[in-house]
Amino acid sequence: MSSTSVRPDVGRAVQAGSPVVPGGAPPVRRRGGPQGGWKQVAGYQAFLLPVVAVFVVLFLVPLAQTFYYSFTDFSGYSLDTEFVGLENYGRILTDPSMLAGLGFTIGFAVAQTAVITALAIPLAVALDRAFAGRSLVRSLVFFPAIPSIAVLGLVWTYILSPLGSGVLNQVIDALTGLGPFPFLSDPWMARGSVVLVAVWSQVGWHAVLYLAYLQSIPADYYEVATIDGASRPQQFRLITLPLLAPAITISTFLLMTNGLKVYDLPFTLTGGGPGYSTFTLTQSIITSGVAQGEYGRASALAVLFTLAVGAVSLSQLLWSRRIEGRIR
Amino acid sequence: MTLKDLTSRPTSRRSFLTALAAGGAATALAGCSTSTSPGGGGGGGGQRISYFSWDNQEDSKPVLDLWNEQNPDIAVDFSNAPPVAEYIAALQTRVLSGTAADVFCIAAENKTNLIDGSAVVDLSGKPFMSGINEFNAATYGRDGKPYGMSTASWGAGIAYNRALLQQVGADGVPETWDEFLALCAELKAAGITPYIEAVTGPSLVVAGFLGAQNAAQGGAMDTAIFDGSSTFEEQWTDPLAQWVRLWDEGYATRDAVGITGDQGRDEFAQGRAAMTVMGPWDVPTLRSSAADLDFSLARIPALSGGSVFLAGAASPGYAINAKSENQELAERFLTFLASAEVVKAQNEALGSITTTADYEPTVDPALEVVAQGVRAGDIYLPQIAWTRAEDKLNETGIAQAQLLVQGSQTPQGMAAEMDRTLASA
Repeated sequence: MSSTSVRPDVGRAVQAGSPVVPGGAPPVRRRGGPQGGWKQVAGYQAFLLPVVAVFVVLFLVPLAQTFYYSFTDFSGYSLDTEFVGLENYGRILTDPSMLAGLGFTIGFAVAQTAVITALAIPLAVALDRAFAGRSLVRSLVFFPAIPSIAVLGLVWTYILSPLGSGVLNQVIDALTGLGPFPFLSDPWMARGSVVLVAVWSQVGWHAVLYLAYLQSIPADYYEVATIDGASRPQQFRLITLPLLAPAITISTFLLMTNGLKVYDLPFTLTGGGPGYSTFTLTQSIITSGVAQGEYGRASALAVLFTLAVGAVSLSQLLWSRRIEGRIR
Repeated sequence: MTLKDLTSRPTSRRSFLTALAAGGAATALAGCSTSTSPGGGGGGGGQRISYFSWDNQEDSKPVLDLWNEQNPDIAVDFSNAPPVAEYIAALQTRVLSGTAADVFCIAAENKTNLIDGSAVVDLSGKPFMSGINEFNAATYGRDGKPYGMSTASWGAGIAYNRALLQQVGADGVPETWDEFLALCAELKAAGITPYIEAVTGPSLVVAGFLGAQNAAQGGAMDTAIFDGSSTFEEQWTDPLAQWVRLWDEGYATRDAVGITGDQGRDEFAQGRAAMTVMGPWDVPTLRSSAADLDFSLARIPALSGGSVFLAGAASPGYAINAKSENQELAERFLTFLASAEVVKAQNEALGSITTTADYEPTVDPALEVVAQGVRAGDIYLPQIAWTRAEDKLNETGIAQAQLLVQGSQTPQGMAAEMDRTLASA
């Protein structure tokens, strides 16, 4: 509880690096002096230059170029391009695979966000408790987040193979005599399989994120709540969940943005099939644009995709903040 | 001396930062490519030629060793990237930035862009093209002008397990599709899974059917589709309808839409399916993973009124960079690559089915029938014959073929979707 005893004005003074005079007049800033002023601020901000440079060179400039190329017939092989206006955008909106890709991409992003969040929070609570071998269990839970998701996708093609020789089908057959199940050859089971592997590979990472926030909740809160007669579920609902709200915002934001940009897992696990059932927008960008050498079209796709991801992510962030404010 | 000691003095700091920058640049460049001569020799006279391959160093070594032996004064700056997407992307970046090698590979996936962008030299009339197979030259050509020198091709056919076929009294794959389906029925009745094919792309069996149809039309089928005088619906509906009978009549599992090519091959290798469709790249794997398997490859059976054919295409060709300042050396390098000695080395090292006039390749016994067909030019692959929107059509072809096998699309519907894709591309 001591963390809330610092007065805000004192905190600001400490942050500015000025001497604190409790109860006295506000500290005076000296311009150009050794302890403050624009030179010092500029000195601090100079440390941002590498980051800003990287951001401009690797993000803003390519983004501007992409926007420019989206109005041209740039092939990637010659800089002699022609302005084609909105033609690239028109072709995208009449492409049937785009709609199929859009449907699965949104469904995947929402499903993985919901399932991972629902599993990662209780998992983090469980991992926060003391038990024998806790460190080992934490490592095992976190491990699937380490290997490349593309490699995991290839491995899971053997596990989820719809043939009788598939690993999971063999296990089910040995245990129950049922199957084989068409995990990757039935459209709905294929969609579910992609979500399953995504959840398996990321739930540990997000549980660790929640765990970090859980460990910052003072134990005093729970002690007081216990004395007041609050049950475990009440403590979770009224203490843990509100104080995890910032973590939920961060976790769901990351899950949504990464879910909308997903490419490697569905591509390696199902190749986008059966049919278009697990086809993603990014796969469409790569196939229609980059692989085909139609960079103008790919750029238009990327621009629309960036705007869509930005809009969805911003909405989700605002919504999360509102919920966060409400439950706190 | 610590890092702090180094950076505390102006001169040391400059040296340190310079070294750091140089190190970073060197690391970045090394990450893009290697620039060595795998053979280890050459370069004594100072002349150099650069070559960007999609074969790795190990596979390229026999050829480059031969070059170094024959041309000790000319070093080859060798670099490579793995096929296909990574190679295409790396080459495209280098072509655009003017740093492409003197000689590089032209493939089905980039030939249109390289020729359209005037990035490759017209090889018409060059002496080294005289022994090149007409089919190979035409694959990497336009308007009768070859832009790539391809010395090998591949062909895919029906692989069959002799032991399983003998259980129903058959000693090979029949030559007509109806007889092939009858054989499948006999195998099924005997409790043997007749056929497996991973539907990860437009079918190689359909490619064989279309190849025979294209040959019967004098090689004009795709030209007609792309100039609008014919359609996919007109040309593809019947071959697709015949192919999908494998699933409609219960000879193959519909789960084939959810497996990889390797998984399909493994089912065949383990004797869980009597027949499959495969290319020469699968043969070495089968020889090592299923040493006791007695198998061979046959041509794809003929549809009514057609002929047996193979799915296949010319291997990537060697192209000369139009902006290279080493045109003469580049031509000398291509002359070397077309020589019987090099073609033989490639056949022996990579198992390539070479197609040049002055060398008869030695192939695995299982591939003898395929090799004959390949060298005769009886190969066809739609993706190679398409002149635009190849990847988009391929993407549609994969998705629609899977829907067709699942029973949620008709052959005519799939062909019509191909037409729609072409129209919107």
